[in-house]
Amino acid sequence: MGFGSDAFPRPADRTAGRRASRRNVLRGAAGLGAAAITGARTIVPARAQGEPVVFWTAMTDPDLAVMKGIVETYNGESPAVPAELVQIPPAEVTDTSKLMTAVRGGIGPDVYFLDRFIVAQRAADGVLQDLTAFPGGYTLLENHLPFARAEATYDGKPYALPHNTDARALYYNRGMLEAAGVDHAVLDPANGPATWDAVKEIANGLNETGPDGNYTTMGFVPWVNQGWHYTYGFSWGGEFFDAAACEVTPDNPQVVAAFQWVYDYCQELGAQQVSAFGSPTMQPGFPPQQHPFITGNLAMQITGDWMINQLRTYAPEMDYGITFIPVPNEGDESATWAGGWSLAMPQGAKQPEAAFEFMKWVAGEPGQRIYTKESAHLPTWEALLADDALFTERHRFFSQDLLPIAKTRPPLPVGAKYWDELTAAWQAVYLNEAEPEAALAAAKERVQAQLGRFCPVTIEG
Amino acid sequence: MATQTAAAYPAPRRPPTARRFALGRTERRNLALGLLFISPWIVGFVAFLLYPFIYTIQISFTQYSGFGDSLPIGWANYQQLLRDDLFWTSLYNTLFYTGLAIPVGVVVAMALALAMAQPLPEVPVYRAILYLPSIIPAFALSFVFVALLDPARGIFNQALLALGLPNVNWFGDPGVSKLALVILAQFGAGQAALIFLAGLKGIPQPLYEAAMLDGAGTWRKFLNITLPMMTPVILYDLILGLSQGIQIFTQIFVIFGNDPPGAPANSTLAYVPYLYNNGFRYSQMGYAAALAWVLFLITLVLAVVIFRWSSRWVHYDTD
Repeated sequence: MGFGSDAFPRPADRTAGRRASRRNVLRGAAGLGAAAITGARTIVPARAQGEPVVFWTAMTDPDLAVMKGIVETYNGESPAVPAELVQIPPAEVTDTSKLMTAVRGGIGPDVYFLDRFIVAQRAADGVLQDLTAFPGGYTLLENHLPFARAEATYDGKPYALPHNTDARALYYNRGMLEAAGVDHAVLDPANGPATWDAVKEIANGLNETGPDGNYTTMGFVPWVNQGWHYTYGFSWGGEFFDAAACEVTPDNPQVVAAFQWVYDYCQELGAQQVSAFGSPTMQPGFPPQQHPFITGNLAMQITGDWMINQLRTYAPEMDYGITFIPVPNEGDESATWAGGWSLAMPQGAKQPEAAFEFMKWVAGEPGQRIYTKESAHLPTWEALLADDALFTERHRFFSQDLLPIAKTRPPLPVGAKYWDELTAAWQAVYLNEAEPEAALAAAKERVQAQLGRFCPVTIEG
Repeated sequence: MATQTAAAYPAPRRPPTARRFALGRTERRNLALGLLFISPWIVGFVAFLLYPFIYTIQISFTQYSGFGDSLPIGWANYQQLLRDDLFWTSLYNTLFYTGLAIPVGVVVAMALALAMAQPLPEVPVYRAILYLPSIIPAFALSFVFVALLDPARGIFNQALLALGLPNVNWFGDPGVSKLALVILAQFGAGQAALIFLAGLKGIPQPLYEAAMLDGAGTWRKFLNITLPMMTPVILYDLILGLSQGIQIFTQIFVIFGNDPPGAPANSTLAYVPYLYNNGFRYSQMGYAAALAWVLFLITLVLAVVIFRWSSRWVHYDTD
């Protein structure tokens, strides 16, 4: 039985003018439908020629403010098509699901600020455009540092233009060390890198616990901030990829030895107690001003050049020093690693030519000059490294002493998976939940299972 | 029957089955109108449920990044799944969480409902307070939860210490991280408690009066009247809880982050976050689709098991 006019008699007392007849209802429904469609088209406009180049970034302040200034400067130079910066949620730093779904849905940006170490992965996925065909093609990368060039390339083709880079170092709070009566001369970079055991000895003199058994002050937590698997693996001289065998090598003996040192360090102090002290700092959304290094409860930590700006903002009075990443044995060469970002053009970009002009400017000399000066990051535009005016004294330590010895993560088409597996193994080891050798062997097996189909993998440079 | 029909009416021009579904002009119009009115739902169902449903079956048999061409690989994704230790880890974590969060949730919801049902003048205020955490979005609640369970400063751990219990590193200790999620789930128990409250209100009072005349105490009344009469509601809550528990995602994403998913040391790597990461981080859409289908089957089997098991303890007789 239907439910139209025959099923339900209309009330007799309604006037014809107010009657909700089927025709009126349908008219109304059609009107609402049209309004909904118009509304939807307003929400997701189809960008036409003449509209700005849309640039997505997951940056947060203070770097975001610098990038906004760069876009404004670019627009001030009256380009044929101006650019518009759109901030996307910070959770999207290496998780590019927003980019992937938008591109797939045909509403992706023209330019995307992409963590450079996953350019190869996204290029292999087919999300990014090959830039070879644009004016300048591969030669555009010639002015960038070789490792950044390699990271922006996949299968011999450029898929991104490198932007900034960075390096990791050991920061130490001189005030805290002096208050504890510790001689910190060994940490002075003029004396070269300290050994990990020397750092441990200094740190142990600062550890304090409260009545509840929790650490209230610590000298050093190996895994806080940029104390990553790569930091230690490189420090011990480990290699993470064997190009000839097309094999990831997290089980490299040096990497295992590095993990073992961290395992032992945490075991001696109580892995769970160390975790209780350090893990909140690794939670998403943890406010930087509450970081134990900034509040004066952690004397040393490994972090990057961007910390100079953060300390200037949150702890302007702190007397601190920056030195080389420690070494396993006296006399060893220190190693660090560099990361950084790039500008890539996703598939389906509405204005590819204008987008490429914008990318060239921001990733080129003018854009990187502003960014280096104002954000305390390092440029990948090689010539800028020689410009002394861009660097403060502390910043110069990164550009002149650390960048030349920096290594990089292998730019693999399974870069995100490799990072995740190394990190899971790293956590299991510093929590003393797994032995280094077993954890790294498991990581290797899982990553290699995905890498196999991309072999052989050629890494530029 | 057929003979009688043939005798009483002229011979049908169409087969009986076709005639049964034959519609008159008005009925056809009404059907068209009816379909028109529900067309937004039909379009939504086809576009967002039926199409993805079929599409995921198709891509689960391919190697596909989400872009470009897909490569047919037969059952390889399903075979890989059996060998993938992280699949088993994520399944274990999810079942551990669901298996603990649901029964604890039933107890908490029942306690809340009993509290809400007390004949006190200020009970509307208590109901509002008890229900309040349930209306906070999971995203916001998770952030609050991080502050509450902070091992150094969180009020929850301070309470544990005050009671002479050991300090617990909820977010850094793989041994207890899943328990943190179970505790968090109880903040949403108000939703179930409201349904339980409605169930409690539906229990006929004469049952309690008869029990009282027979000398039954509070506990005896709860065990012999309240609990059996509430079993249909408990079953509903179990099924709903199963579906929600198995799909846990937001809380893990917010509390433990996604770099990598499942911190610490894969102890909170639940099924859906693992599926999400395969699809969107590792660009293995085909494998993610296979994971989705296996999850669907697991949920289906568990729901059937609960239904069959429920015939032993659910009491539907309200006479």
